[in-house]
Amino acid sequence: MTTIGTRTLRWLGTALVVGLGCRGPIGAPPPAQVSPPSAGSELRAPSDFASITDAKERSAALFAEASRVMLHPRCKNCHPAGDSPLQGDRGLVHDPPVVRGADDKGVPGLECTSCHQDQNVELARVPGAPGWHLAPRAMAWDGRTQRALCEQLKDPSRNGGKSLAEIVEHSTHDRLVGWGWTPGHGREPAPGSQAAFGALMDAWVKDGAVCPPEEVRR
Amino acid sequence: MSVRVRINGKDHVLDVDPEMPILWAIRDVLGLTGTKYGCGQALCGACVVHLDGEAVRSCVTPIRRAEGKSITTIEGLSADGSHPLQRAWVELGVPQCGFCQSGQIMTAAALLAKKPKPSVAEIDQSLAGNLCRCGTYLRIRAAVQKAAGGE
Amino acid sequence: MSATPPREPAKKKVVLVRRAFLAGLGLAAAGLAIAFEIAFEREARPDDGPKKPAPTDVNAKSAAAAAGEGLRPNLFVHVSPDDVVSIVCARSEMGQGVRSSLPVLIADELGADMAHVKVVQADGSVAFGDQNTDGSHSVRGFYDELRRVGAVARMMLVSAAARRWSVPESTCDAREGAVYHEPTGRHFRFGDLANDAAKLPLPDPKAIVLRPASRLKHVGKELPLLDGPDLVTGRALFGADVRLPGMLTAVVARPPVPGGRATSHDPRKALAVPGVKRVVEIAPAKRPFGFRPLGGIAVVAESTWAALRGRAALEVSWDPGDNRGYDSSAYRDKLVRSLRSPGRIWRNKGDVDGTLGGSKRRIEATYYVPHLAHAPMEPPCAVAKVDGKRCEIWASTQNPQSAQKEVAAALRLDPNDVTVHVTFLGGGFGRKSKPDYVVEAAILARELQAPVRVQWTREDDVQHDYYHSVSAQELVAGIGEDGKVVAWRHRTAFPPIGSTFSDATTAGIGEMQQGVLDVPLAIPNVRAESVDARAHTRIGWLRSVANIYHAFAIQSFIDEIAHALGEDPLAMRIHLLGPPRIVTTAELGVEKLPNYGQSLEEHPIDTARHRAVLERVAEMSSWRDRKKNGRALGIAVHRSFLAYVAVVVSAVRRPDGRIHADEAWICADAGTIVNLERVRSQLEGAVIFGLSHALYGEVTMKNGAVEQSNFRDLRLMRIKEAPRAIHVEVVKSSAPPAGVGEPGVPPVAPALANAVFALTGTRVRDLPLVRSLAV
Repeated sequence: MTTIGTRTLRWLGTALVVGLGCRGPIGAPPPAQVSPPSAGSELRAPSDFASITDAKERSAALFAEASRVMLHPRCKNCHPAGDSPLQGDRGLVHDPPVVRGADDKGVPGLECTSCHQDQNVELARVPGAPGWHLAPRAMAWDGRTQRALCEQLKDPSRNGGKSLAEIVEHSTHDRLVGWGWTPGHGREPAPGSQAAFGALMDAWVKDGAVCPPEEVRR
Repeated sequence: MSVRVRINGKDHVLDVDPEMPILWAIRDVLGLTGTKYGCGQALCGACVVHLDGEAVRSCVTPIRRAEGKSITTIEGLSADGSHPLQRAWVELGVPQCGFCQSGQIMTAAALLAKKPKPSVAEIDQSLAGNLCRCGTYLRIRAAVQKAAGGE
Repeated sequence: MSATPPREPAKKKVVLVRRAFLAGLGLAAAGLAIAFEIAFEREARPDDGPKKPAPTDVNAKSAAAAAGEGLRPNLFVHVSPDDVVSIVCARSEMGQGVRSSLPVLIADELGADMAHVKVVQADGSVAFGDQNTDGSHSVRGFYDELRRVGAVARMMLVSAAARRWSVPESTCDAREGAVYHEPTGRHFRFGDLANDAAKLPLPDPKAIVLRPASRLKHVGKELPLLDGPDLVTGRALFGADVRLPGMLTAVVARPPVPGGRATSHDPRKALAVPGVKRVVEIAPAKRPFGFRPLGGIAVVAESTWAALRGRAALEVSWDPGDNRGYDSSAYRDKLVRSLRSPGRIWRNKGDVDGTLGGSKRRIEATYYVPHLAHAPMEPPCAVAKVDGKRCEIWASTQNPQSAQKEVAAALRLDPNDVTVHVTFLGGGFGRKSKPDYVVEAAILARELQAPVRVQWTREDDVQHDYYHSVSAQELVAGIGEDGKVVAWRHRTAFPPIGSTFSDATTAGIGEMQQGVLDVPLAIPNVRAESVDARAHTRIGWLRSVANIYHAFAIQSFIDEIAHALGEDPLAMRIHLLGPPRIVTTAELGVEKLPNYGQSLEEHPIDTARHRAVLERVAEMSSWRDRKKNGRALGIAVHRSFLAYVAVVVSAVRRPDGRIHADEAWICADAGTIVNLERVRSQLEGAVIFGLSHALYGEVTMKNGAVEQSNFRDLRLMRIKEAPRAIHVEVVKSSAPPAGVGEPGVPPVAPALANAVFALTGTRVRDLPLVRSLAV
């Protein structure tokens, strides 16, 4: 049985709920007001979760919100489980058919940077950002639940040896990460902004970097 | 704005829009027409050149990325068609219309520079981005293997 | 290949007249335009700094020709005193290897040393006869004539040598670039004889003697690729590679729906792009479009990059016009429904309705093939220069004479004042026999009073093609008491090519002959009908044309019959072919058969040849083991462009579950062939081309506009999807030459569909396969 009950599930909004009929802890205070889930393109701020008084619960909720970025196509397309990046919003395999290669940067003659530049090329509709490459397989996000994503992110053996502080720094300032919000031609940006995402991650860490329970899904 | 770039061993100062793709700089400004326009969206590979030895798709790569660097086009791959890939291509009668072949050869050259003896699967992976409408793929595979077989 | 009145094969318009004579008479002599030869040899370009565009070698004439020296008995051959034999190729090179084939005929007949032969590409000129390079008729249309061309030069050189030695001509032989006096072994190289030969009279045409076939050294063999060295070094010039002083580049915004027009446009943002010179409107063509440009707004600039940026900045409002409602998905349903009603009868034998009515069993199926795009790797491109009443064109065109005619019409010039130089073509497949893009260049060149290159982008090419027609077909077979097919009804519906030229809705005999009227069927009751269909886009011809859909349907249907009757698909085909025989129009039940522009006497429908390629490909592929080791084979046979081709495709399931064609076998009987190596490459290429269409090929329209735009959504086969082996066999034959460029295509799609059925039990009747299966 999980520690987060139906109250919290309601707080997180219908988009996030897969109600399993869990009963909440006996004697818990009445549900506080968290602002309702944003429209798809917006991201809630840490302050929107302030009313969750329990730090652990708040931390998990913050991560769930942040995961809307990480599991958005603009981000998870380059965190595939397989050997090829994805394209578009329906998880289609990248065309031309490229593969990650030994160092996640493509194969000789067809490296990621043979096409992808350091910024978007508009006329040709080719997205770009500095250091364009695939996340290693250990950092596959496509198909992950929020909990699995969280645990993977926190695990130094799977996150490139990053500390929590480094994860926050990466989230807030990395330019390739930042591309997700300025993706160019016809591509829907990730929700919110990089700053907002960074703030959520920072708040998540400050509240204990707690992972959401498995039942909580987008 | 001026972009300084070495092309096929010769230094140039190009007075062009820095966002101009390398393809149009080399074709329209320098008259190096061996590199072709096939799609303009990095989907077909007809435009592949080498930038500091690595294959790039010149139709989407802005000339400013080549600042201070070295570009090799098909014209510069060898002085006289003597690169092992060019020789293998001719021996095996690879080209039909030939339009895609500059890009095929330049991509294969980048592959062989890093993997001198690629398997068929590796050849297919590296050339997966190069389209040929005439259907010369099987001969391309054979020619890359022949060139890799070495003299 | 064209379905408009079947063309007679290139005939007898090659005139044995000296160039000097023609020059003396002036251009209008006997209605012939003089051909300006252009040398396609580029010197290795030293890369020496930023260049201004310079006149390229396209204008250079070979030195000897300019000086008027050497032997030039006709427009095709020149022997220079420095021993270079220049041979003109008057057909467009688009990868089919015509430059490595036709000149060989001449050279071999002449006895030239191939190391001293230079191939020169001809301009458009009626003096060369038909130059429309499509319909797979370069070799079959010119074989005899070009040998005669070479023979004339040989006879004059031999004559010159014999005179010098004072010996009988019969003691001399021309070979390896020299004339030998056999008894003594002495020889003169052709170059040494050229000036003397030039003074001799032309031989009487009746006295022209051809070598016996056994003395043709190169014809029929595997020959080196003539242009290989230029193609692998970037030296070969394609349309977009032509550069002229002061040349501007134009990129045109065309109506998204064919027949539409720009109602208004704002050029200001385009003009603000550095390098953009003008924004010019091109008047739209009304239906029927013919080869006239679709019209639109052209952005003309100093560089391609500026023109592309300029067009992206252009603001245009479009009136979509009459084709605005075209929805290819809805049209499919309409086309299929139209098959319910009887159509125009083209082929009729026996009593199909009666026999079908009385059949113990009926097998029927409906097949659909969507619009296809040519998508040559080189998008259409042409350069034009207009000086007063003269226009000079450089274009990758399959039909320079059509380009002359259309440009002349558009600019109101005399066609003789329009010169068309032909570059290498980066693929054609039929797209580049339509000179709409050439006319655009001419219109803009006149407007700008400067040379203009019109560069089509890939989006332009995908969205403004002359599409291979969409088709739906119904086949019904009646099975008799004895378990054999006793009745066969074929109904085909497709907007015809004639729609592009005359708004026709009825199929032309040119299309009906392609896999409907000419298919031998040992069935007593046969009827074939066409159902009228209206076109809502520009329809054109694409490599093998109506054979694509007709062969797909018939060869799939025969498999379906075989399956229903529990028969081996190979045995079923052999049975339906009937005994070895020449099939007459009477037996077919047709009134006439264009037979691709050649006589049925010379190119009969010979079922022994069908059977031979079928049995050979079955042998090559080990057909008896056709379902083994996780793979399944499918077979098909089809005669088109007078050649017989049988194909077997092997289908397997990849670890990820996708269906893949991992191997193919193709056996072709194309009669007498010239360059075996290029014939093999054409057949290999046809397999890939056919597989690509069968697996993914499709263009769709919605609200009149094409939905696809580039290779992202117009999917073509890539190297990793290509079979690991394609086995090619070319039948050794001394029958008259048949087509080679196209016949490999039609049997491929049905062979694949049949293999897929054998592998999965799923019968796909709608192409492309990707719509039904993971491929």
